[in-house]
Amino acid sequence: MSDLDKAIAQLRACRPIPEAQVRELCHKARELLIEEGNVVTVTAPVTICGDIHGQFHDLMELFRVGGDVPDTNYLFMGDFVDRGFYSLESFLLLLCLKVRYPDRMTLIRGNHESRQITTVYGFYDECLRKYGSANVWRYCCDVFDYLALGAIVLGASNTISPNPEQTEMSTEDIEIEVCNADGQIMSQFPRTPRNARARGKSPNGAGGTTNGVAPGASGGPSGGVPTGTGPPGSGASGVSGGSVGNPAGAVLCVHGGLSPLIDTVDKIRLLDRKQEVPHEGAMCDLLWSDPDEIDGWGLSPRGAGFLFGADIVKMFNYRNDLSLIARAHQLVMEGFKEMFDTSIVTVWSAPNYCYRCGNVAALLELSEDDSGLGIFARSNGDVGRSDGGVSGGGLRNVLENDLKPGPARRYRVFQAAPQDSRGMPAKKPVADYFL
Amino acid sequence: MSAPSIPNLLSLRGSSRGGRGRGFGRGRGGSSSHSAPGHDVTIQGTDTDAALSRLSAVEIGYLDDPFAEVFAQRPAPGAPVRRLPIINRGTYTRTTAIDTIFNHFLASTAGSPRQIISLGAGTDTRALRLFTSTSPAHSDILYYEIDFPTITAKKLATVRTFPPLCVILSVIENTPSSWTAYSKTNPTNKLICHGIDLRDLAQPQPLSQPQDPPALPQPQTPLSHLLPSIDTSLPTILLSECCLCYLPTPATTSILSLFTSAIPNLAITIYEPILPSDPFGRMMVSNLAARGIRMPTLEAYQAPADEERRLKEAGFEEVRVMTVERIWQGWVSQEEKERVDGLEGLDEVEEWILLAGHYIVAWGWRGKGLELPSSEGT
Repeated sequence: MSDLDKAIAQLRACRPIPEAQVRELCHKARELLIEEGNVVTVTAPVTICGDIHGQFHDLMELFRVGGDVPDTNYLFMGDFVDRGFYSLESFLLLLCLKVRYPDRMTLIRGNHESRQITTVYGFYDECLRKYGSANVWRYCCDVFDYLALGAIVLGASNTISPNPEQTEMSTEDIEIEVCNADGQIMSQFPRTPRNARARGKSPNGAGGTTNGVAPGASGGPSGGVPTGTGPPGSGASGVSGGSVGNPAGAVLCVHGGLSPLIDTVDKIRLLDRKQEVPHEGAMCDLLWSDPDEIDGWGLSPRGAGFLFGADIVKMFNYRNDLSLIARAHQLVMEGFKEMFDTSIVTVWSAPNYCYRCGNVAALLELSEDDSGLGIFARSNGDVGRSDGGVSGGGLRNVLENDLKPGPARRYRVFQAAPQDSRGMPAKKPVADYFL
Repeated sequence: MSAPSIPNLLSLRGSSRGGRGRGFGRGRGGSSSHSAPGHDVTIQGTDTDAALSRLSAVEIGYLDDPFAEVFAQRPAPGAPVRRLPIINRGTYTRTTAIDTIFNHFLASTAGSPRQIISLGAGTDTRALRLFTSTSPAHSDILYYEIDFPTITAKKLATVRTFPPLCVILSVIENTPSSWTAYSKTNPTNKLICHGIDLRDLAQPQPLSQPQDPPALPQPQTPLSHLLPSIDTSLPTILLSECCLCYLPTPATTSILSLFTSAIPNLAITIYEPILPSDPFGRMMVSNLAARGIRMPTLEAYQAPADEERRLKEAGFEEVRVMTVERIWQGWVSQEEKERVDGLEGLDEVEEWILLAGHYIVAWGWRGKGLELPSSEGT
C-alpha cells in the first residue's frame, strides 16, 4: 500500500494525516492542478456535486449513494471547507483522491476556498485546533489558488442510463429521474413538447421563493410518471434540437454563476486564476454570483458577485453552445433546483447544512452518450459562433428556437448521515440559534 | 461556533419525560423549587448564550453597548468572543427591533413616569443603555426586571462590584426578593429587579388536561400582591425576549392575563421562534432538545398569525407581527444595512432567510397614548 493509499484510508476514517504529509500532498496536488486550464474539460459519464462544507460524514454518504472513487467519475463544484466540523478531513480526502485518480476526480474552486473567507467561517480555526499552527491552513490555501474555476462536461447523453429499477417508461423518453439514496426511483419526467416548454415558465422559478422538484425526502419509490408536463418546479426542457439518442450540448459547471465581464467560456480561460479570490471582477463573480428572477443583472445581497436573470443565462448558453449550467453555492432545501426552463441548475450536496437547516442534498448524474458524436460534434466553448452569438432573429429567436436540448439528468437525493453509525469520531455538533 | 457544553443526553430524556406540564398545579407563592431544576439551569444558560452573542456583535461593531462586556462570561479571560455573521446579524436585528419599539413607546409616553417590565431579563443591558442615553425621551423610566432569584442576585453582585456600573447605579433598597437602584446619570430613572420564578405568577392550572385551550383564567391574586411595587396606573410595556417560550403555554396565558387585567394602558413586545413544523423548524426543535431546551409555546403558536391571535385574545387591541427577516428588510435603513454588511460580509444568505424567518417580533398595545410602529415602516 502506497503512502497515498494509506493517507486515503486514514482520511476515510476521518483521522487527519500528519502535517508533513499534508505538505507533500498539497505540493503534489499543486503540480497537478497547475497543468489544468481555468476550465477543465470533463467527459461524461460524470457525477456533479455541490457544496460539502466540511460535513465529512455526509461526504461519505455521498460516496455511498453516488458510488466510490474511482468507479464513479466525480466533479465537485467547490466549497469543500468551512461551516462543518471536518473541513480538513473532507478537503484532504478529496485532494488525495484527486492526486490518486486525477482523471476521475475534478475539483473546482468555490468562494470558500479563500484565505479571507476561511478565517471567518471556520476552516482556519479548525486547522489551528487540529495542528496547533496555521501551517496546514497555509498549504491548503496555496492549493486553493490553483483550483480550476470551472469545468465543461462533454458527451453527456440525451438519454438516461438504464436504472435497474426501471419502470414502464422507456429510458428514451426520460429527461429527469429523481432517485432516493437507495437508488429507488422517486419520480421520472419525460421530455415535453417544445411548444409547451416555450410557453411555460419554470414553475419553481416563477415564484422565486419555492424550491425545485420536490423529491419528498422520505418518500419511497413512486414510479409515478406524470405525463404532458415537466416535473413540478423544473419545467422539463423540450426536444428543441437533435433527436433522442444524440448527444446533448455541453454543460458548464461553475461554483456561483456568470459575470457581466464574461460573455464566452473562452474569456474564463483567459483569466489569471492563480491568486486569492479577488473582491470583485470576473473571477470573483464566477464564484459568488446567483441566478435570480430578474431581468439582466442585479446587485447581490452577498456583497460580492451579481444576481443574473433568465435572459442572461439563455443568451450565455446560446452563445457558448451550452445546454445547461450546473452550479452550487446556494442552499436549496430539496437538494437541487432547476431554473429558467432548465437552462441552469443548482446542486447542493450538504444535507442538513450546518447541522441546522433540515435540508436534503443531491448529486447530479450525467450519463455517457454512446453515439460517439458528443465530443466532436459539439463545441465546448473553444469555438465561438460565427455570428457572435446573436443571429438575425435576436434574443427572442434564441430563446425559442436555439437552446440546446438538455442532457438527461438523474438526481440522487440523500439525507444527512447518522453521525455515530460508522465507527468514526463524531463530535455531536451544536448548532447556534438566537436564544 | 461557540456554544455551551453539551448536556448529557440521558439526563435530558429523564427531565423531558417528567417535564410536560411541569409547574402546573402549583400555587403561586409556593416554594420556588419547581421540579426539573436541570431544565431551569439550562434555560438560565440560554442567557449566557445571549450575553456572549451580544458581546460578539458589540466587539465586531454591529451594536454599541458598553455594558455587553460586563455581563458576558468569556470562555477565558481576554479571549475574543466571535459568533458567525448570521448570528451577529440576528442579534443586531432583534436588538434594533426591540429598541425601535421601545423608543416609540418612550416617545409617546414622554413627560411623566412609565414602566418597562422585562420578563426573564437575565443579563440584559437595555436598562443600562437607556439610563445612560442622552435622549430626553429616556427619562422617567421605572424599569422592572423579573427573573429567577439566583439571576437577580448575581446581577446585584455585578452592579455592586463592577466600577463602571457603580458610577451609573446606586442601590437604594435590597430585600430578599428584590433590589432597587437609582440611575445616577438620570435620577428620574429607576431599576427594580424582582427575584421570582415566573411560574409563580401563573395561576394554578388543572393538571389533567394541559392540552385544552386555555380558558382565560381570572387571576385569584392580583398583580398588586405579587409585584407590589408596580404602579398599575402608569403606561407600561411588557417585554418577553425569548422568555415566555420556555414556560408551559397555560402559564404564559395566565401571566399575560395577570398584567392585562391590572394595567389599562399596556403594550407588549414578544420575541421568540416560530414554525417548528417545517424541515428547518423540526431540526431546530431537535437541536434545541439536544441541548435540553424545550419551548412549549412554540407548539401552541406556530405561525405569525397564531402569535397575533394570542395577543388579541390576551386583550391587546392592536397587534403586529413581523419575522426578524422582514424586520431586517424593512426596518434597517439602506445606509445602516451597508454599514452592517461591511463589518464582516455575510455569505449565509439562504440560511439567514431560513433562520431569521423562524423568529418573530410581535407587539401590541391597548389603552390610551401608546403609539407603536406599524409593521411596514418605523
